[in-house]
Amino acid sequence: MPVIELENLRKDYGGATVMEGLDLTMEDGEFTVLVGPSGCGKSTTLRMIAGLEDVTDGRILIGGRDVTDLDPKERDLAMVFQDYALYPHMNVARNMSFALRLQRMDKAEIDRRVRDVAEVLGLTDYLGRKPAALSGGQRQRVAMGRALVRDASTFLFDEPLSNLDAKLRGQMRAELAETRQRVEKNMIYVTHDQVEAMTLGDRIVVMRAGRIMQVGTPEELFRRPRNLFVAGFIGSPPMNFLPGRIEEGRVVGEGFALPLGPGRAGGAAPSGAVTVGLRPSAFRRAADGDIPFRVEISEYLGATSVLVGRLGTARVQVEVDTPAPVRVGETLQLGVDPDQLHLFDPQTEAAL
Amino acid sequence: MTDQATGPGRARPAAPPAAPPAGVPVRAEDAPVAPPRRRRREAGPVFYVIIALLVMMALGPILLMVTTSLKLQVDIVSSAPGLLFAPTLQNYETVLCDVLWYEPEHVRFCDPTFSRALGNSLIVATVSTVLTLLIGTMAAYAIVRFRFMGRDAVSLGTLLMRMVPPAVLLVPIFGIWTFQYGLNDTYAGIVLVYVAMNLPFVIWILQSFISQVPMPLEEAARMDGANPWQVFLLVVLPLIKPGLAAAAIFTFRIAWNEFILANVLLGRNTRTVPVTIVNSLTEHNIDWGVIMATGMLLAVPPVIFTLLASRQIITGMTAGAVKG
Repeated sequence: MPVIELENLRKDYGGATVMEGLDLTMEDGEFTVLVGPSGCGKSTTLRMIAGLEDVTDGRILIGGRDVTDLDPKERDLAMVFQDYALYPHMNVARNMSFALRLQRMDKAEIDRRVRDVAEVLGLTDYLGRKPAALSGGQRQRVAMGRALVRDASTFLFDEPLSNLDAKLRGQMRAELAETRQRVEKNMIYVTHDQVEAMTLGDRIVVMRAGRIMQVGTPEELFRRPRNLFVAGFIGSPPMNFLPGRIEEGRVVGEGFALPLGPGRAGGAAPSGAVTVGLRPSAFRRAADGDIPFRVEISEYLGATSVLVGRLGTARVQVEVDTPAPVRVGETLQLGVDPDQLHLFDPQTEAAL
Repeated sequence: MTDQATGPGRARPAAPPAAPPAGVPVRAEDAPVAPPRRRRREAGPVFYVIIALLVMMALGPILLMVTTSLKLQVDIVSSAPGLLFAPTLQNYETVLCDVLWYEPEHVRFCDPTFSRALGNSLIVATVSTVLTLLIGTMAAYAIVRFRFMGRDAVSLGTLLMRMVPPAVLLVPIFGIWTFQYGLNDTYAGIVLVYVAMNLPFVIWILQSFISQVPMPLEEAARMDGANPWQVFLLVVLPLIKPGLAAAAIFTFRIAWNEFILANVLLGRNTRTVPVTIVNSLTEHNIDWGVIMATGMLLAVPPVIFTLLASRQIITGMTAGAVKG
């Protein structure tokens, strides 16, 4: 499987630059997820790799071959579109075999491949149906199947699950992860959903406004976000941010003081001002906890609860194990793991 | 109808009195059996009178044509009008004398004009329809999908051209066709005019159909390895079939019925049917029976063509393509 390299990729739309100098290398056999809020350029990046979008400047290399100006069909890629894009005048079998028929592949071979993939995706009973007679989930599978029969070197996914309802999305996500185990191919997956990114990706590329904010494994992004944006984007419920400053090995904010682990916060701004990042999961209930926490909103999820209350004067979300629902107005004793404290420079938004 | 309304066998009080709107094919099984959902307001006598008048206006001339075409000249000119006459196919035999497998005994001299004219009409109408659709789809596709300078101007300009009445073009076309290119009396000449005349409207119709084909479909086809021609032929074209059918009906019927330009531009051997009919009105003899028979035969091909083409006009071609 070839390595895909983006070199100094630039994209202008009618005078406005939406992407400036993107560099990214996607390793062999990797599942790369491009994630970010809408308008961050993740879909544009994918479409440029696919060859559906012109590249203003820079190069795209697939397996060392410069494909920047090549047609999509010369790039050996298969793509799954956000809204399926099934050919409505063809039945499922013909939809899936379209690419193979264009290649003038042997009929028997086409038939074999379509049946194999249909088997895997549970579409065998629907091969004769037109897309209009399929449910959303089935259409999604056909779209996937159309890419899988291709046996292309790289699969591109453009928010393939965003049109499905929550339950189906979870199911398809699991199936996709399973498919991913079986199909040893490069996969590039675009989504705005950080849960999809975390669960599917070998490597996640977090983008914002045409720039890469951080590239890393799900764990790296979660444990060591490089900046405020990544910290706030990855993780659910999102990280709490509080203004504070460093004082004698502690971080002090309005109405709270948290101990820092040894050797932390060397590079704080001269004023000592920092932004403190605390994931809801960084809190734990502890008898010896030194943070009194009065519950203002309680969302009981079963094993855990998401509680909203105040840390000093600032509102924070806390996620703690709860054997039984916590009542609003109750006061809990919470502690914070010093290792899970994130510090950011308030000016540059970079992690300290 | 009124009998039915009072009769004992009237089973469905709220049955729809009017035919379904024109152009909407109604399958037999889903038309009448639906249970009455709510009582519709009873249609009064005025309604039926209006319907009857409209039906008469639509069918009257056709009825007159049919009966006249089945009459002998004697019956036609006789002062006793009416529907009582001995129907005969003589007029049809006269018109079709040279294509019939037998020789009608009443025909003394077989005039091949009509069958020749019918052939001419078929050639002219078919060729202009095919050419118009061919050029029209490609032009419409280009206008919708390609970005080029003056795209909007082209789009609007094509339609503006349509607003020029053919009669205005008559003299210049006749002059140029005859004296500059020698295209008078040729099929090519008239086909060229018909194609030019119908293209704007066809392009305009097809534009709206093409712009409804979702862009991701074309992108998917490109990812699947289709070149631009294959995208156009294998994905776009099948999806705009209803538009093609509508455009084909429109073009075919205009080319089939057109009189003024055909009358001016065509010669003895290339004349189309409408011109031939008018030309058969001579000062010596107006054989109404033959003219009406010709008229009836003239109506057959477009009816067949329209029936065939309209089966392609179905909605929801792109259903299921993308998430709605």
